Amino acid sequence: MAAPVIHVWCDDPADGPTNMAADEVLAGESLRRNALLVRLYCWETTTISLGAFQKHEDALAAAEIEGLPLVRRPSGGGAIVHGSDLTYAAAVPKTHPWGSSPQALYDALHEALVRSLAGCGVDATLWRPSQPVSVHANDESFFCFDRRASGDVIFRPAHTAEPASSAAQAGRGHKIMGSAQRRLEGAVLQHGSLLLRRNTDVGGRAAHPGIADLAVAELVGAAALPGTGQLVDHWLALLAAESRADVVRESGVFRVLRSHEVAEQAARFREPRWTARR
Amino acid sequence: MAAEMRFAKSHEWIRPEADGLATVGISSYAVEALTDLVFMQLPAVGKKVKAGESIGEIESVKAVSDLYAPVSGEVVAVNTALPGQLETLGKDPYNAGWIVKIKPDDPAEMAGLLDRTAYEALVKSQSH
Repeated sequence: MAAPVIHVWCDDPADGPTNMAADEVLAGESLRRNALLVRLYCWETTTISLGAFQKHEDALAAAEIEGLPLVRRPSGGGAIVHGSDLTYAAAVPKTHPWGSSPQALYDALHEALVRSLAGCGVDATLWRPSQPVSVHANDESFFCFDRRASGDVIFRPAHTAEPASSAAQAGRGHKIMGSAQRRLEGAVLQHGSLLLRRNTDVGGRAAHPGIADLAVAELVGAAALPGTGQLVDHWLALLAAESRADVVRESGVFRVLRSHEVAEQAARFREPRWTARR
Repeated sequence: MAAEMRFAKSHEWIRPEADGLATVGISSYAVEALTDLVFMQLPAVGKKVKAGESIGEIESVKAVSDLYAPVSGEVVAVNTALPGQLETLGKDPYNAGWIVKIKPDDPAEMAGLLDRTAYEALVKSQSH
């Protein structure tokens, strides 16, 4: 029997609605192929993505992101400032071992990332609450990187030169990757963002430090920081090993390969009614 | 878990009531799998739904999931207290944690859903 396959696309930059549409199409494609699909991408310009349930008025009230393009994700979680991050979408059928529960896919991708960061000399860990967390949507921070959920990737703060944020001061460390899911009828779509460096298009509480800002020069010199390609290669290799699958790097750009469907879906994500639905 | 309940593969339960309506909720397995629930959106009373259509959304710390209508019909009542007391879904998912009441277009449609034994087998298969 042939080994399962993880299909991977590295797409070129696109705007928010196109990226969200491509990811929804990816979820449908994962069902057709009965496989884990991964799309890695970045953004044409600094863009704010809102979680599916976040209030539009909260985005409008956030002065730090005023004037930047907004798009609402189909997935949950808090707002993300895209532009200096590596964004991924992973789609998997619910029948896949990683599709059965939210934590399974979350942990699988994040544990592999922690190990791939370690291979590049970056010390990170998974955040685990010391006791059960009870949260309500109204109590949540606006930005994803100010929130904590079990399995979030946290930079180990022991040697950081970065001034401690309120989260770090509270003993929660600096979050460098978070993810959130949309659980569709037959498939799971997981969005995630790895913060590579601080985004200079925003200020204040929106300007979260990334890996490059947190690494101390003498421990992880700038030259030794992982290039995105190296890190991704290592990450995918670990995912493949963990799931006993082969990785296939697909040629072409996923959103172009499925341009008709993506354009149809993107129209919904461009509608102000969608963005302001809450 | 009452014996007369039926279940959708998407983990909603439905229970026929004496007044001809059907009560709908989500199973304890689904609640546990979603983990920490933070938000819920319910449909409007009067909404016409088809089996398999989304009737609402529920958000946990990590995931947003659609709630699907197990049968076609009209939403005649919603549990408006639930979004403010999501812990009820974990404590009592089959009674106080009901989500909507539907007037089925065809009550016989429920027979096509999973019975308790079949649903428990589905859950068991998805737990491995």
